[in-house]
Amino acid sequence: MSESLIGVARPRIDAPDKVTGATRYAADGYVHGLLHARLVLSTEAHARIRGVEKDAALQLDGVVAVLTAADLPVVKSGTDRAAEPLARDEVVFAGQPVALVVAESEAAAEDGVEAVVVDYEPLPAVVDLEAAMTPGAPPARLSAEEAGGDLESIHAGVDKGEDDAEEEQLSANVLDSVTRGSGDVAAALEASDAVVSGTFRTPWTYQAYIEPQVSTAWLEPNGTLVVSTSTQGSFVTQNELFRAFGLDFDKIRVIAEPLGGAFGGKFALVEPLAAGAALALRRPVRVALTRTEDFQATNPASAQITELRIGGRKDGTLTGIEARMLVDRGSNAGWGVEGITSLLVAGPYRWEAFDLRGYGIQTNRFTFGAYRAPGAPTAAFALESLVDELAEELGVDPLELRLKNALVEGDTAVSGNPVPTFGAVEVLERIREHPLWARRDSLPEGEGLGLAAGYWPGGNEPAAAVCRVDSDGILTVITSAADMSGVNSGFQVIAAEAFGMPPDRVRVVTTDTASGPYAGASGGSKVTYTVGAAVLKAAEAAREKLLAAASQELEIAPDDLEVVEGVVRAKGAPDRSITVAELSRKALRFGGRYEPIEGHGGSAQTRGAPSVAAHLSHVRVDRETGEVELLRHVIAQDVGRALNPALVEGQMRGGATQGIGWALFEELAHDEDGRLLTGSFLDYAIPVAERVPPIDTLIVEVPAPDGPFGAKGIGEAPVVAAPAAVVNAVAAATGVRMRRLPMTPPRVWAALTGTEEPS
Amino acid sequence: MIPAAVGYHRATSLEDALEALAEPDAKALAGGQSLIPVLKLRIARPSLLVDLGGLELRSIERDGDELRIGALATWKDLTSSLELDSSGLAGLADCASSIGDLQVRNRGTIGGSLAHADPASDMPAMLLALGARVETRSPDGERSLSVSELLVGPFTTALGERELITAVVLPVPPPGSGSGYASVEHPASGFPLAGAGALGRPDGTKAVAITGVGARPQLVPESGSLDDVEVYGDRFAPESYRRHLAGVVAARALEIAQVRSEGRR
Repeated sequence: MSESLIGVARPRIDAPDKVTGATRYAADGYVHGLLHARLVLSTEAHARIRGVEKDAALQLDGVVAVLTAADLPVVKSGTDRAAEPLARDEVVFAGQPVALVVAESEAAAEDGVEAVVVDYEPLPAVVDLEAAMTPGAPPARLSAEEAGGDLESIHAGVDKGEDDAEEEQLSANVLDSVTRGSGDVAAALEASDAVVSGTFRTPWTYQAYIEPQVSTAWLEPNGTLVVSTSTQGSFVTQNELFRAFGLDFDKIRVIAEPLGGAFGGKFALVEPLAAGAALALRRPVRVALTRTEDFQATNPASAQITELRIGGRKDGTLTGIEARMLVDRGSNAGWGVEGITSLLVAGPYRWEAFDLRGYGIQTNRFTFGAYRAPGAPTAAFALESLVDELAEELGVDPLELRLKNALVEGDTAVSGNPVPTFGAVEVLERIREHPLWARRDSLPEGEGLGLAAGYWPGGNEPAAAVCRVDSDGILTVITSAADMSGVNSGFQVIAAEAFGMPPDRVRVVTTDTASGPYAGASGGSKVTYTVGAAVLKAAEAAREKLLAAASQELEIAPDDLEVVEGVVRAKGAPDRSITVAELSRKALRFGGRYEPIEGHGGSAQTRGAPSVAAHLSHVRVDRETGEVELLRHVIAQDVGRALNPALVEGQMRGGATQGIGWALFEELAHDEDGRLLTGSFLDYAIPVAERVPPIDTLIVEVPAPDGPFGAKGIGEAPVVAAPAAVVNAVAAATGVRMRRLPMTPPRVWAALTGTEEPS
Repeated sequence: MIPAAVGYHRATSLEDALEALAEPDAKALAGGQSLIPVLKLRIARPSLLVDLGGLELRSIERDGDELRIGALATWKDLTSSLELDSSGLAGLADCASSIGDLQVRNRGTIGGSLAHADPASDMPAMLLALGARVETRSPDGERSLSVSELLVGPFTTALGERELITAVVLPVPPPGSGSGYASVEHPASGFPLAGAGALGRPDGTKAVAITGVGARPQLVPESGSLDDVEVYGDRFAPESYRRHLAGVVAARALEIAQVRSEGRR
């Protein structure tokens, strides 16, 4: 038998095209007669639109049309971004698209945008999250309507908890409240040896993908709407467009082009604009956001405020946890992260009693959207800060405290569900073995080490895949999953291993909604676990066809055959063999006798496969300036099984790096009128390469029983507890506990000197 | 992010450039590291760009007791010039190397930066501390201004409509001097929240200037007190923090200058 292909580091299959510039992204496609659209964005956070003056723009050379909401053939009601790609008569955040200027060139469209005048009647802007939920607060949207929550289920396979049954006086801006409880928390805290509490704030955070949002739409002569786009999900986009425009379902074809990054932000946001304009004008239209537009008009992660209280006993047992979490949904009436964040705030631990509440609140800031592990980094920031404080109060080692209370398989999670296979103990033990952990009490002055752990529950969605051998003898894997974070490279190795083919003789194709097998959107850490499982079955089904053909050809029973590196041979008599290529040529020809070597596979995972990661962060704090320098970062993550360790480590590094962004740099800030103050990379800091320390990646493998070769989704877990680890490291270095992210130099300095912290 | 339509003229000589700048709303283009972004954002909408890139104004030369830096010398030129390889001038290279990133340093010029007069620009602090002047040309002739005379306020200079900086000239500090630059940068823009250039001479006299905290770079009085330094706060960095930071970077720049003047490095 040949060596297993699983667990071998190899380059991403999309890498050569990407690094040589051969990849065609959504903005690169040539379309005959293409028009370019630019957005007129609201300058007001909350206002009635009295009118839109188009004439001056229409007189400019090259400007074809100025479209407002009334010009788009939208049939869907509601206020979500697919139903309302352009504001109807009320704008609800500064940056909301109000009109589209469509022109023969991007420059002409930009000229046109400058010439459009929108007449606003300003309304009170609801910007402060706590004030927004207070009874009597002005509404962030006057024309409130029930909107569909179609995208809600994408991100995590967890229940939302129950709607709050208790009566609490809240304003109409509170769109949703979720409560989870068990046991008597007050009594549990009362009986604790130590109780710690705090209020934690995180800001709106931008996904900061390299490729701004872009979508091109056109109509085929038969009326089919084709949308070529940078999206995480082709079928989900097709559904959104179907509901938005009421076309026949089969008259909508969505092509997911190679992604230039998404991180949760690319879900049917610009497609309705491009499609609406193409339908209105009967000409191809491209909406390619500039970075400035992308900052203002898209859907970043929510700001959150978390009030948290936890207790523990001297023997190192966690007792009760009480959380009240305010989630800023901005203008998103459809869904929010109050459910998932108030679940994840309990962390990977057992609690004797809990009372966890989440509130989804509308304000006049952005439209909330998903960002890598939505709601999780902010939950872990709060919990892991307090777990460290509790350990100190109890005189218990912070790692041992976490270990003692770590959930294991068979425990009941705060969701009420049994915990499936879970690697919390294993990742914490790996951190304990790391040489850096042993140095925690002997670091130089001004340095500190911080520990934190967190998990992501993973997601499930039925999926299908096809594997077929072509005339060149190469196995082609066909799915509709957008190739995000290298999932196609995972499919390659799954199919190669299951079929018996060298990986370089497996290609992976992402196809569109017109012909592809079903796959949900890439997100929620579910693609490898679900689509990958379908690929495994498809490869096995193709292998059966292969063996049936080979059996006839070699006159050997299928059970006595094996497939090794693209050759079918008799077990024990390897010279009695035939290559896959030869068999496929015999099958794929006029008068051939064998069925095409092709298999279809599907999956419907029902068990969750959570991934947990523990971080160790080493920082140095400049007490004079408040600057935090990261010296080193360690992440240990349970990945189930690393199909391709190079890719897994890339996800771990990327997640940790984005977590460092949460900790130290990233903040979308508004002024008191709700206008964005940090709408460019001159104001919005991200963790650029020179600020990211060496990151040690420790792969921990606790196989997921239902995952392909034990693999699971791993994309989101690595970001979750990274910010908390940096926060705990800063506390270890300075003795000061930061309650607001990001920990900018002025904020750290203010905390160190006891002066008022900048907001 | 597409500029409004604009004319373009590549100057063949200083005289040609000054003539082209006679057009109303014409704007001189040097390295483009400040002007091109504001054109793309349509904050600036000149009628004509007069590209100075072809002019011979890039040399960095010792001229007796003076150092002459051509207005079109890039930050990269400053970081790699052998003329700056002395303890008294090392702060210039420090400062240039802290500006932007490599691409910006390859294109951005000292003259273009001074004419842009961004109040958070690094170099003016170093130039003030070193007592630099700028030489200019206009149809009216040549003149020389000190850096503090040149920089009037945020994005505002004493230059006339058709007046170009041709060189930055500074006295070479006496042997045994040391200079240094220190800053704390905004994490996104890389511009200093506070930056300080310092010069220490062997006779014990010193000069320190601060940038990034107010409307223009400021020389610190000889007492060393920062009480009279004008400091603005903003959302990111409040006034109290910036004032504190000014003291920190001033001390750090002086320390570097001191170490260099004592030949410890």
